[in-house]
Amino acid sequence: MDATILGLLLLDALQNGVIYGLMAVGLVLVFAVTRVILVPIGELLMFAPLSLVWLHSGKLPGTLALALALGLLWALLARGRGGLWPLLGGLGLFLLFLLALKAPLLAYPASVLLVVYLGVATYRVFFQPMREATVLAYLIMAVGLHVAYQGLGLVFFGPEQYRPAPLLSGEVVVGLSWQGVLVLLFAGAAVLGLYLFFRLSLYGKALLAAAQNRLGARLSGIRPEEAGMVAFAIASLLAGISGLLLAPLINAAYFMGFMLGLKGFVAAILGGLVSYPVALLGALLVGLFESLTSFYASAYKEALVFLLLVPALFLQSLRARAVEE
Amino acid sequence: MRYLWFALLLLPLLLAPFPFYLTLLNFFALSALVALSLYVLTGLGGMTSFAQAAFMGMGAYATALLTVKGGFSPWLGLLLGLALSFLLALVLGGLTVRLKGHFLPLSTIAWQVALYILAGNLVGLTGGHTGLTDLPPLLLLGLPLDNTFRYAFLGLFLLVLSVLALQNLRESRLGRALLALRGDALAAASFGVDPAGLRLKAFLLAGVMAGLAGFLYAHFLRFVNPTPFSLEASIKYLVMAVAGGVGAIPGVLLGAALFTGLEDWLKDLLPLLLGRQGNYETIAYGLVLAAILILAPRGLWPLLARYLPQKEGRLPQEAPLPLKPPSGARGEVVLEAQGLRKAFGGLLAVSGVSFTLRRGEILALIGPNGAGKTTVFNLITGAILPDGGRVFLFGREITGLPPYRIHPLGLGRTFQHPHLFPELSVLENVALGTYARTRAGFPQVLLGLHRKEEGRALALAYQALKRVGLESLALEKAERLPAGQQRLLEIARVLASGAEVLLLDEPGAGLRAGEKRELAHLLRSLSREGYTILIVDHDMDLIMGLADRVVVMNYGEKIAEGTPMEVQRNPLVRAAYLGEVA
Amino acid sequence: MKRWLLAGLFLALSALAQGALKVGVVVSATGPAASLGIPERNTMLLIQEILERTGGVAGRKVQFVILDDASDTTQAVRNTRRLVEEGVVAIIGTTTTPASLGMIPVVTEARVPTISLAASKDIIHPVDAQRFWVFKTPQTEELMARAIAADMVARGVKTVGYIGFNDAYGEGWARFFEAEARAKGLQVVVSERYARTDTSVTGQVLRILARRPDAVLIGASGTPAVLPQRTLRERGYGGLIYQTHGVANPDFLRVGGKDVEGTLLPAGPILVAEQLPAGFPSKRVALDYIQRYEAKHGIGSYSTFGAHAWDAWLILRPALERALRRADPDRDLAAFRAALRDEIEATRGLVATHGVFTFSREDHLGLRFEDSAVMVQVEDGRWKLVRTFR
Repeated sequence: MDATILGLLLLDALQNGVIYGLMAVGLVLVFAVTRVILVPIGELLMFAPLSLVWLHSGKLPGTLALALALGLLWALLARGRGGLWPLLGGLGLFLLFLLALKAPLLAYPASVLLVVYLGVATYRVFFQPMREATVLAYLIMAVGLHVAYQGLGLVFFGPEQYRPAPLLSGEVVVGLSWQGVLVLLFAGAAVLGLYLFFRLSLYGKALLAAAQNRLGARLSGIRPEEAGMVAFAIASLLAGISGLLLAPLINAAYFMGFMLGLKGFVAAILGGLVSYPVALLGALLVGLFESLTSFYASAYKEALVFLLLVPALFLQSLRARAVEE
Repeated sequence: MRYLWFALLLLPLLLAPFPFYLTLLNFFALSALVALSLYVLTGLGGMTSFAQAAFMGMGAYATALLTVKGGFSPWLGLLLGLALSFLLALVLGGLTVRLKGHFLPLSTIAWQVALYILAGNLVGLTGGHTGLTDLPPLLLLGLPLDNTFRYAFLGLFLLVLSVLALQNLRESRLGRALLALRGDALAAASFGVDPAGLRLKAFLLAGVMAGLAGFLYAHFLRFVNPTPFSLEASIKYLVMAVAGGVGAIPGVLLGAALFTGLEDWLKDLLPLLLGRQGNYETIAYGLVLAAILILAPRGLWPLLARYLPQKEGRLPQEAPLPLKPPSGARGEVVLEAQGLRKAFGGLLAVSGVSFTLRRGEILALIGPNGAGKTTVFNLITGAILPDGGRVFLFGREITGLPPYRIHPLGLGRTFQHPHLFPELSVLENVALGTYARTRAGFPQVLLGLHRKEEGRALALAYQALKRVGLESLALEKAERLPAGQQRLLEIARVLASGAEVLLLDEPGAGLRAGEKRELAHLLRSLSREGYTILIVDHDMDLIMGLADRVVVMNYGEKIAEGTPMEVQRNPLVRAAYLGEVA
Repeated sequence: MKRWLLAGLFLALSALAQGALKVGVVVSATGPAASLGIPERNTMLLIQEILERTGGVAGRKVQFVILDDASDTTQAVRNTRRLVEEGVVAIIGTTTTPASLGMIPVVTEARVPTISLAASKDIIHPVDAQRFWVFKTPQTEELMARAIAADMVARGVKTVGYIGFNDAYGEGWARFFEAEARAKGLQVVVSERYARTDTSVTGQVLRILARRPDAVLIGASGTPAVLPQRTLRERGYGGLIYQTHGVANPDFLRVGGKDVEGTLLPAGPILVAEQLPAGFPSKRVALDYIQRYEAKHGIGSYSTFGAHAWDAWLILRPALERALRRADPDRDLAAFRAALRDEIEATRGLVATHGVFTFSREDHLGLRFEDSAVMVQVEDGRWKLVRTFR
């Protein structure tokens, strides 16, 4: 192990780590606001680049049908004017996709907006009706949706991988491509943006408040449903853009999202599912751990990454009370 | 009646001419065992595990390794498998049962994935993904169980035994304690239930059951590889249990049967419906699960159970466990608080509070809102840790002990909002109070050896109900009772526990005038019998008419102590309540 | 012609209505092995159509019962039991090694001849009481590994690095290649693993680079096989890169693009059928299959895996005809299945798309190295034949 190798491994760790970090932030945000552990975040991540590939080859992807179907359900569930938004959104999305078939550049925003719409609709249709359910019930629902979405991914896109063209090609320095730099820049911008949003904007603060205390938030005029939709929208946005940026580097396939989401989730757990900075650090740690183990013991890399949870949970358990309040 | 389950053993005979359905029957038996493990863990204990398939894997690989690589008897493999599942559950559970609710399932996901990967990578040990082949068939008294017909009998027989064992569990102190723990850990702890300990034991039982299922699986297929022990498999079992109704034994069995049968049916049906080839069942599972969680959150079984005849409850017949009235000299100090102190962040809730409680007296703790009364209560009962000060019960120091350690020493409490368990009957709710007085552990309960003790415990609960005048409602569901009777139920529960020091938190809250009079009457007669009572309440009439002595708190400090008359005349007290400058 | 007349007479004479011959098929049309299983299923459907047009086998209709095992062993076992229950005379399948191994005890208990479409030698070797009933058509990893080792030696390779899937496929390859390499005097200096779902293999590749092997073998299949190759090239690896025959499908070329130029891989002869020299045994049969498959699914759509299913039928059909002369499935299914098994085993010199099959009591693979493996190289995004072993 010399300096070059270490350097390459660190760059690899950084690149992977920031993606896990973005997943982790999305997971923590959604959990904090809605108590949902967004297991399907991996599928949302993959749907963006796969839909993009479909658009670029002149076909409408099945994910559009899924999004529109959910949007319709959303409109039916909402009463009165509430049903207008999903319908308008769905219509706009459809038109955007038709345009994108002609103008390839439009495919990028179209895919991201698709994922955002899908994410928000998922919340509205599946999670919002489960009022006051336990975290556990939400988790089971999330797992069920993950299974369903992954199955749909196979139906829509087939079992093979796809490689969209990178936005920027070539390498900056050995080990880091320009596309990789783009990923890092996006991650940095996203984290900064979220930080400013939560600390400085009123709505952001209100969102955090809704996370801590739903009743209190409600009494202050923040509707929990709205907060939930915004949280899901932000997480989906992060997932979609990450997916688009990442796909040229890794080859997108319908099943790859789950592992990415799972590792992001390990990172989120390291932060106790409450802390964003710790989750981000945790994600970088996971990336680093993964890089090193893939060098030294590649066969066990995955197992070791998950076993990383053991000391994390142990530490948490030392701090827990003997009896819950 | 309960032995009707053995009718399941007729199924292989019915299905004998259809080998394919015999195969399905075997898979049903195996899945049902795993689903039953989830009944214990989730239905009773309120925990969720996404790692049941990993426990299965332990059982399966243990026997595969011993029989294929070592040439040992499969029954030895069973022992090893159960032992390894037990160990795995011990490690996993030990680390995580003390965490807040959702950390357990999350950590089980991680373990499940890690174990699956290890099973696939330790090629020298497990054969990797290619797996281990040619496991020998089980030999039962010389008869090889090498076809689906014979194996179905074994699987179903073990299934029925498990069902009976779990029914025993449900109708026992442990079943009640688990249900109590699920709803309200603090209330359970105040009756002697050690939450982490009991949860761990439930986790162990669930792990071992899944390990047994894994063993059976291995000798059924006679081939073991990691795929059936993956996260997807764990999720499938969870779906079965939740969809069928994880809160009832017939529910999980229904779920297992439904999904085992549906799987094949869906494989054929969906491509036909959708007009194209493909694997659509996973999508169907996900959507079915989603639909059930929204529309029938408790699963399908409760919907069906409504149409079935309800089981009639029986009043207990046995002689009750002895309930000795409090002995010892009246006026002897039973409880002493010295200099209690508690701060929450910057707020000093309780500062330097001291008082004593003497046998046979009724002491009232009063003060304006925010005075710190409930905090003192919680400090004494062990619900929270004091920052300073000491508490003694019968001369023993109990400072800092958790509620489940304090209770068996003779201290019992009720709650401001009655912490009852709505799905249990009134009698069962009261019986929870007997937890600390009964001894049966998991082995005795599962084998059904606890019946005598259980009967006596229920009889004791019935006596307690009689004491408070609620015996006619013994078999009603607890949620049906109005507030006043719920309060009496709580007191009956505390009486059944044999505690002689009763701490009552706002017992009058929510009661009408007549109910309050009844309550006061009961408390007075209890105090005459020698029970010592500490009440926290706001109702001055109730307090003044009932209490022998009163302690007044304000802003976390004790400001007055004495008889009701003395306290009423105390200018500090008047100032605290009325804001007057005396 | 006489055979048809006799069959027609028999039909007329027999009081019992003759049922269709049911042949069971289990493939992994979904799950990780879908890219292999889908062409296999398509091929069986193609055969079904042909049979319907040409009237079946020996005057009897043939019905394929095709089930998907989703690349899962338990599913494969269940499907097998179901097929047995439905009274199939033989089973073709399944796609993956673990699932095929899982099927063995079931078909043995049921005494149904089975032709597997999976790679591992363990499926048919040794031919004991269990494998008595099992045959297979795809070349074993051992055979393909021998091709790679031979090619490496011919190119002067001394040291080899390996990176493969951490599943049955990658493990099987690691095992067999290391054995072949040792036999030929090659040294495997490093052996890494990665998961199909991995998004980065930098660590593993760095480790390989540190050892500077003359050649690297990637033990993977389908599009996930591109990742290590691309990473090797990006990190500046200049040696030879070999892939296994698991990448012999157009998706690999599509996703791999420039990064997979120059890849060397062993393949069944059908992959480069038009380029085979004139005397190559499989050439004609392979071209025939390609033409039929492409007529239905488009130019360039055929895959070597679908051809394994075609070969299975090429073996099964004459065996069925011979067995029908000896036994009657309607009268005694068990005896017919046993007769069919014997007739399959009696196959000699049958020219198929991947080689020439000659089974025997000890050999249920039936392929010779020289006829069933060629070395191919990726050139200009196409498969180019570079070496045969005849």
